[in-house]
Parts: sequence; C-alpha cells; structure tokens
Amino acid sequence: MRPIPRSLLGILLVIVALLAVFPQFVERYYVQLATKIIVMAIFAMSLDLLVGYTRLVSLGHAAFFGLAGYALAVLQRDLGLVSLWTTLPLTLVVCALAALLVGALAIRTSGIYFIMVTLAIAQMLYYFANDTKALGGSDGMFLATKPTAELFGVAIFDLKNRTTFYYFALAALVASFLVARMVLASLFGRAIDAVRCNEPRARALGFTTWHYKLAMFTIAGTVAGLAGYVGAAQDGIVNPAFLSWHQSGQALVIVILGGMGTLYGPVAGAFVLIVLEDVAAGITEHWLLFIGVFVIAVVLLLPRGIASLPLGDFAGRLFGRGARKRAAAEPGDD
Amino acid sequence: MTEPLLETRGLSKQFGGLAAVNDVSVAFEAGRVHAVIGPNGAGKTTFLNLLSGEMRPTSGAVLFKGSAITGLTPDRIARLGIGRSFQRTNVFTELTCFENCWIAAQSRLPTSLRFFRPAGRRGDLAAAARDSLEQCGLIDRQDRIAAALSHGERRQLEIAMILATQPELLLFDEPLAGMGYRESQDVIALLRRIAQSHTLVLIEHDMDAVFSIADRVTVLVNGTVLETGPVAAIQSSPAVQAAYLGAEEQP
Amino acid sequence: MDVSSFLVQSLNSVQYGFLLFLVASGLTLIFGILGVINLAHGSFFMIGAYLAHWLALKTGNLFVAIALALPLSFLLGLAVERLAIGFLYARDHLYQVLLTYGLILIFNELQRILWGNDVHGVPVPALLSASIPLTEAQSYPLYRFFISIACIGVAAAMYVVIHRTKLGMLIRAGAANREMVELLGFGVKRLYALVFALGAALTAFAGMLSAPVNSVYPGMGEHILIISFVVVVIGGLGSIQGAFVGAMLIGFVDTFGKVFLPEAASLSVYAFMAAVLLWRPQGLFGARPA
Repeated sequence: MRPIPRSLLGILLVIVALLAVFPQFVERYYVQLATKIIVMAIFAMSLDLLVGYTRLVSLGHAAFFGLAGYALAVLQRDLGLVSLWTTLPLTLVVCALAALLVGALAIRTSGIYFIMVTLAIAQMLYYFANDTKALGGSDGMFLATKPTAELFGVAIFDLKNRTTFYYFALAALVASFLVARMVLASLFGRAIDAVRCNEPRARALGFTTWHYKLAMFTIAGTVAGLAGYVGAAQDGIVNPAFLSWHQSGQALVIVILGGMGTLYGPVAGAFVLIVLEDVAAGITEHWLLFIGVFVIAVVLLLPRGIASLPLGDFAGRLFGRGARKRAAAEPGDD
Repeated sequence: MTEPLLETRGLSKQFGGLAAVNDVSVAFEAGRVHAVIGPNGAGKTTFLNLLSGEMRPTSGAVLFKGSAITGLTPDRIARLGIGRSFQRTNVFTELTCFENCWIAAQSRLPTSLRFFRPAGRRGDLAAAARDSLEQCGLIDRQDRIAAALSHGERRQLEIAMILATQPELLLFDEPLAGMGYRESQDVIALLRRIAQSHTLVLIEHDMDAVFSIADRVTVLVNGTVLETGPVAAIQSSPAVQAAYLGAEEQP
Repeated sequence: MDVSSFLVQSLNSVQYGFLLFLVASGLTLIFGILGVINLAHGSFFMIGAYLAHWLALKTGNLFVAIALALPLSFLLGLAVERLAIGFLYARDHLYQVLLTYGLILIFNELQRILWGNDVHGVPVPALLSASIPLTEAQSYPLYRFFISIACIGVAAAMYVVIHRTKLGMLIRAGAANREMVELLGFGVKRLYALVFALGAALTAFAGMLSAPVNSVYPGMGEHILIISFVVVVIGGLGSIQGAFVGAMLIGFVDTFGKVFLPEAASLSVYAFMAAVLLWRPQGLFGARPA
C-alpha cells in the first residue's frame, strides 16, 4: 500500500475537522444528508477493499449492507436487544460469517463469473427478504428504537438526537478508514498486493491465494455490515431496497467516481454522487436519467476517478468550502 | 546411487487425445544441473508445469525427496522448496524490484494472515530481499518499478525473487529465451553461481548454453524420453543427433 | 402430482426455458465475440415487451406489432452499440459493468417517462387464445405452444446462420480469433455492431413473446437479466449449447420449484446455481480456465 501523500494528509485532516464542526452551522436536513453520505462512504470504502485493492469486482456487495440492517431489526424484535454494545458486534459477526460463506463460493470463480455470481447471490437474499413474511416482505421491518448506548446504567450518548447520530456515523467512518489502513499496511496487505498484481506469480511463490482473497472478502463484507447497521439505524427501517442490486451498483459507481484503490476516493465519490442525486431529485422526478448519463460520462471521461485529478486546491474546494456553500444554497426535499 | 531430490515415474499428460507428456521417468539428483531439451512441441514446458503443479498429470507420479507431490497445488509445491521461473518472465510489474523480492521472501512465512502489525517493521524480510537482489546484480535497481526494467533485468529479477524464497530446487523454463548475447551471458553466469549451492532443472533451447552449464541432459521427443545421460554422452549420441540436433540445425 | 399436471408443468418449464435461452444466448454471444459483459441486456427484453404492448394497442394486432418492433429493436441495438458499447472493447470488465449500468438507469427512466409506472396486460391474439385440452381437468393455452414453437424456429435459424453462412463463419472465427476476421476481409467493427444488434433483437423478441403471458411492468428487464446471468453461469460463458442447457435446467428448476416449494420458490434457481458452482466453477460447458 502506498502512503497517503503528505499534501493530501493535511487536506484529509482539515476535512475531518470540518466534518466535526459541520452540524453546528447547518439545518437539520443537511445533517441527515451528511449522515447518509457517510453511510454510503463507509459502504463504498468497503467495496474499494475488494475492487481497488484485490481486483475482485463484486456486484453483490449490498448483500452484507442489507443483511446487517435485517440482523439489527431481528435482534431488536425477536431477541429484545437494544443496546449498541450487543447489537453492533452481533450484527458484524453475522455479516462476517455470511461473507465467509458467500466468498467461499464466489471465489471459486473469477473475472466476469465473479461479477455474475456475486450479483446472483445478493439477488437471492433480496428475493428471500422480499418474499418472507417474517421479514416484512416488500415493506421491510421497522426498528422500534435507535440502539442505546449505556455504560453502568447511564446513557453516555443518545442516538435519537440527529446530531449525535451524525457523530456516531462519522466515528464509524473514521474507524473503518483506520482499520482498512491497518489491514492494508500489514503482512496480509502485502500478500493482497501480490494477489492483485499477479495471482499466478503469487501462487507460484507459495501464497495460497484464495485464503487471502477470502479473508479480504470477509473483511469487506464486515465493514459493509457496519455501513448497513448505521444506515438502518438512521432510517429506522430496513427493506429489500437495502439488498437491491442498485445499492451495489451505486457503490460501484462511487468507488470508480472517487478513484479506486485509495480508500479516501470513495468518500469523495459518495459526497459527489449523493449531493448530485439530491440536487437532481429536487429538479425533476426523472433524476435517474441524469445519473445514468453522469455514470456513462464518468466511465468515458474520468475512468480513474476524482483521486486522479490534480488534488490539492481542487480537493480543498470540493470538500470544504464547496460542501457548505452548496448545502446552504440548495433547497431539498426528503 | 543416492536418492534423487526430484523424480518422476511414468508421468503422462493427455490433452484430449494427444499425449503431450508420455510415460516420462527421470531422476534429478541433488546438487546437479539437469537440462531437459527437445524440439519444439516435445512437451518440455508441459513437463515443467507438471513438476511445479501448474498442471495435474493424467497418470504417473512426481516425488520430491522420496515423497509424492503429485497433484499438489503450485503454492504447496513452492512451499516445499521448489521455485520456478516462467517462459514469459513473470514478476509483479507494478511493484519495485525491492517490493518484488520482499513479497517473495514473505511467501516463506507460515502464513500471511496477519492483519495488525505494519509489514514495514519486518527488517528480516527487507534484508532477505536485499540479499537476493545483491546476488542477482540488481541492488542498484531496487527502487525501480519492474515494468521499467529491460527484458534481461526482468529475468534477473524473477530469479532474485525465486532465490528470496530460499528454494532447494529451481525450475527454469527457457531462461535465455528472447535475450541478446550480452544478456544471455549475464544470465548464464548467474545460473552458474546459483548452481554452486542449489539443484537446477533447466529447460532450454540454446544448445551451447545447455552444454556449458548442465551436468546431465534428458532429451524429450514427442513427449517421451529419448535418452538421459551426461552431457558428453548426449552430445555424441547418434540417436539424439538424428532426432533432434540434425532436425533443428538453426534453433 | 398426477401425470397431466406434471405434463402441464413440464410444458411450462420448456416454454420458460426457451424464452430464457433467447435472452441468454444473446448475452453469451455478445460476451463471447465482443468480450463485453452487458448489464443492459435485460433492458432490451423490457423494451421489446413495451414495444409489443404499445404497438399492439396502436395496431390492434400483436403479430403486426412484433413485425414492427423487431426492426426497431435491431436499430436501437445498432444505435446503442455505436453510441456506448463501442467505447468498451478492450476495456476492463469493471468499466463495462458501470457503463451498461448507466444505460439501465437511462432505459428505466425513459420507460417511466414514456409508459408510466403501471403494469400493463397485453391481450393474447384471438387466433391463439384457445386452449388445448389435455385431460378432462387440464388444458394448455395455445399461446404458450406458440411461444415454444417460435423459439424453436429462432433457435433453428440461429443454428443455420452460425453453422452454414458466411456471417456464421465470421462469428465463429471472431470468437476464436479477432485477427482472422480482419483477414477474411470483414471489418471487425461491422461484425461487432451486427452481433450486438442481433443479440439485442433476440432478447427484445423474447420480451415481445412473453408480454401476453407475463404482462409488462417496470423493472422486468432486471429480473430477466439476473436469471440469464444464472443461466450463463450454469451453462458456461460463451457457449451457445451451454446457454441452451442452462436455460432448460433453470426453466425446470424454477417451474417445479414453485410447485413443490412455493415458500422458497425464488431461491431454488440460486441454490441450483450454487450447487453447480461447487461442482464445476467454470459452468457445465465452460472451458476450464488455464
């Protein structure tokens, strides 16, 4: 893994600082929009671990995002678990196990087959959720309450407060980023470099390459589960759309838009795409038409994403001043 | 006779109806340079792929130090101490020479499923990488991206990577293919140096090179062994001359 | 299950299998020859169905509607190839996925603008609205027979084209060797455009045929796309025989899955795919990757 350039590191710290103070200056709607962006950023970052770092193009990553949402809902309803300290780890374990299972099957294939198999498996979960009455069918499941965070009987923060929830999501994003960096910098990360660059060579050197691909698939599925947990908790509902292939497709768009193999690229990509969707949806009900054209334009004109642009000044504008200016200028609806 | 380091018994590989390798039994002794030669299409590369696990034999056995390794995957075989080069040089082109060898040295750890400690702190691997680069004369190129190397240098890098995995036995698939005279001489000198402390199996087209490096030679024709013996015997064998040397005057 | 309902379900399976074959063979041809994974393939199915619905309303006759819609779909295929797919040859699958995903968004939205969000039924033509009695209790709609027969006709025509004509020779050569096509004096670009448009028309035709049976609704393209992926994964990518066998297997698994395990009906095909993957990751007719 290449280190983050010094100039960019400064920008990243500035952005995190801006994100930290951001809710103090804007309306509630934009705090929620920002939370939504953060959820997608975590989700897309987890996909970047597969697409950008391991060259495993998954079109079924929403499986773990949605699974986490349903896991949280089921834990609340059927086991009566409401605490963050129990539901979050349990949800992540469920997602890790599911990713291990799905990965073990999908990694038997490669290239185009891998794309189709991951899509098909995610679609299987989609139909399962859609057709299962106990999971609410196409209506999905409501979450009775936000996860509670108590220590020794004292609530240390309250996720029902939107701003608190925003900070919770932000903390999840930063934690995901740091964990991903740690994993990529480890011996495992070097082995993944070898698998990505040249899998036959890695195997001939003695790496049992599918171990590493499966481990990465599991890590990525778990981080996607974190995104799904935060997303479901924010919305207060989980429905089959969480599992839909548009959710997977959107994450893939974000990864490429931001620049794959960078981790911070998908964060920028999530920001640009979600804001664009928000703006387009405010203009016309047929906003997906614009998004479609935009996606095609990105593929043809900016295949290496925002991260390949001359950063520095541009990134500063895009993240910092631009965010607040646009957020303040554009009216939106929910 | 001592037990051979590597041995094949009745090794065969069929592709559809075609037998690319047919009932090949050869013993490769420890400490020797053993070349496998033969005209184009004789099944040499298939044979090597059977040794390294890239392909599974249709029948027959491969024994390493007396125990069967037939049908093991390439990574398992590599971990037993058998390194290989490919006919088309095969390195991590996006990475630097140093990183290439670093990863090769890392492949010898029992597992790389270690997620927490930064890899950069592994001074032992860095030392092993530098050591192998030094042996192959690439130490001053260590920060160069592999894609930017010349053809000959990339071949040397691949050899350095194999050395970094600390193998006992090295399999070379036409290490001189596509190289100019000067580059060939460098690689031949390198192979000679490696041969002092390793066992080598060499598939090669360049006859002069084979006869100057090898101790023993096996001649493959149409997937079967025509003859195996010391260099001098092969050079003077009428059967070999008829089947191979005569047929391919201009290699 | 008695014999006659078994027969009816088998006929349904075969009919569904044939429709899937038309869609999957287009997908597999486009991948085998152009090297492109086309997510927008299902959109042509949807477009075919909506064209049939719309033109049947205007002309009052489904056959006239199909006769008009077929060349339209072919031309649309040519246009999409020229304007979008043509930029994707030799690019990474990742970008092919993304660009064709963008196309899906556009097609879905255009469908919504032109025809709205409602589900539309398409009447079965009067000529074929009868049912054939099988036993006293069971009968089989004539129109479903018509679908199977039309598909057999198309499959036979495909076989003749691929094995007996110059175009077929180019297609077979193109799948094996791109330079060979150039040597044969036929521009690769023209061949690619033709294959893509033919694949689009095949799929659209399947959509038209199925419109009276399944009605037309938003999102129908995605559903058929994913099922055809399953077909192609099972059969092996790039193989027409594989597409045929895979489509028939899925036809049976899906139809009988709904009969025997109604609560897990939508899962049966995926479970079947998983089983095939465990056994033969490259698909039943796929070449083993080197």
